[in-house]
Amino acid sequence: METTEIKEKISDALVSVLGHSNFETNDELTAQDVDGWDSLSHMMIITKIEEQFDIKFKLRDLNKLKNLGSLVSVIQGKI
Amino acid sequence: MLYWLLFKRSAVSQNILLLMASIFFYAWADWRFLFLLIASILINYYLGLKIHNTLKESKQKMLLNLGLVFNIGLLVYFKYFNFFYEGFYKIVNVFGTDLDYNTLSILLPLGISFFTFQTLGYLLDVYNEEVEPSNDLLDFSVFIAFFPKILSGPIERAGSLIPQIKKKRELSYATSVDGLRQILWGLFTKVVVAENCAAIANPIFNNYEDKPGSVLVIGAFFYAIQIYADFSGYSNMAIGISKLFGLQLTRNFATPFFSTNISGFWKKWHISLTTWMMDYVFTPLSFTLRRLQKKGLVISIIATFILVGFWHGANWTFIVFGLLHGIYFVPLVYSGSMNASDIMAKGKWFPSFKEIYKMIGLFVLVMMTDVIFRVDSVAVALDYYKGIFSSSIMKYPASYVTANTLMIVALIGFFMLIEWANREKKHDFEISNYNVYLRWSSYIFIFLLILFFGRSSDTFIYFQF
Repeated sequence: METTEIKEKISDALVSVLGHSNFETNDELTAQDVDGWDSLSHMMIITKIEEQFDIKFKLRDLNKLKNLGSLVSVIQGKI
Repeated sequence: MLYWLLFKRSAVSQNILLLMASIFFYAWADWRFLFLLIASILINYYLGLKIHNTLKESKQKMLLNLGLVFNIGLLVYFKYFNFFYEGFYKIVNVFGTDLDYNTLSILLPLGISFFTFQTLGYLLDVYNEEVEPSNDLLDFSVFIAFFPKILSGPIERAGSLIPQIKKKRELSYATSVDGLRQILWGLFTKVVVAENCAAIANPIFNNYEDKPGSVLVIGAFFYAIQIYADFSGYSNMAIGISKLFGLQLTRNFATPFFSTNISGFWKKWHISLTTWMMDYVFTPLSFTLRRLQKKGLVISIIATFILVGFWHGANWTFIVFGLLHGIYFVPLVYSGSMNASDIMAKGKWFPSFKEIYKMIGLFVLVMMTDVIFRVDSVAVALDYYKGIFSSSIMKYPASYVTANTLMIVALIGFFMLIEWANREKKHDFEISNYNVYLRWSSYIFIFLLILFFGRSSDTFIYFQF
């Protein structure tokens, strides 16, 4: 899957959990930059992304997530 | 002095001195458990390296589990054995038997809750590939035993402290002065604020049965301030002393009462414990329960907070304390208003009326819950609440409206004012940007307050945990 397509799907997941699209999908985007992406909504976002791509994360994968770029590469490693 | 003059040559010599001082300090506080501390250091050091050097994931996991069993086992044996032992017999006796039991007299090793959490976090970080294991026993020993924090935290993480220990520390004038400032403020907080509050709260809690509701409210108020001042004062001193050795510890309190909801409060209260719980309990748990959506979050939060409570000691009071705090989060999860700003009235001097109203509401909630934390049993707490919510709450507390009490209230006011002014800074008394006259008059003023209003104390509340 193309990086842009993956980012689009991630963006859909974010919008469906957070209810807004006030963010830009560049590689450096972190949770802190996005309104409402906190420790609580994080797990719901992760679940939504798992559903979108039909993949399963491991706890170790989660520790590696530093920004959107690393999320994309973890997803790429799974599909 | 010795540290900066004679041992400035290398990190190794600095660390040897720190380790010697730490061992001496721990032995002086309680020599009986020195061997336990040393054993814990050696075993965790070895396990960290072994986990990292093992290639098979299943074997890594086995080694991690071994470490978890060892560390949690230490805690359970020393801290919780009698609690579970007694609980077991009480349950058995429910079924009509009448078994006798004697609890064992187990002494609690000083600082065990703090250094065990550090070793647990270390092994989990190594296993999760968050940090490289330490390959230097001296560095690792200083990381665990560093004396300013061994008895009561902050609970440090390998990723932030070990790299600092590895490097040679250079003497910095600005850091040392800042450390001294933080020590002065911590001392003021402890001996002036906490001890004066204790002098009012203790007699009320010790004889709560014959006090009217209005006085019980006064007791709860001063205890809430006392526990905050006691622990944040200690933390500021520990962090300040560490700065004198060129080591930066984690911030433990960030003016928690200046929050508008319970989530904001816990982000700023005993930060080194809450972030630990967040990373090693809440995150894995909520990850496992993620399919349950918000229900999974609620279960994870409540379970995490019960553990936060239980960490303080083997008593139902702490479990109920944690449970209640967990429950306070539930409305926030469902209303989606968790994401409160961390700093109140950011960039402004005055908060809005709505913020003040929420802040006072939060304070009352925390204050009432602290009653359970203070008393010996849940039954006593219920009695205390019954006393508060009785008609005697309207009774004028004449014996407490005295010049002495008003003086203490004024001191609390001064304490909170300085904390408010510095709430966006790196610590509560970071006044390096003030001009030299204002800085020095502040030091002298606080020094005088300590001299005139300070009370001696032989311990800190958190030393017992």
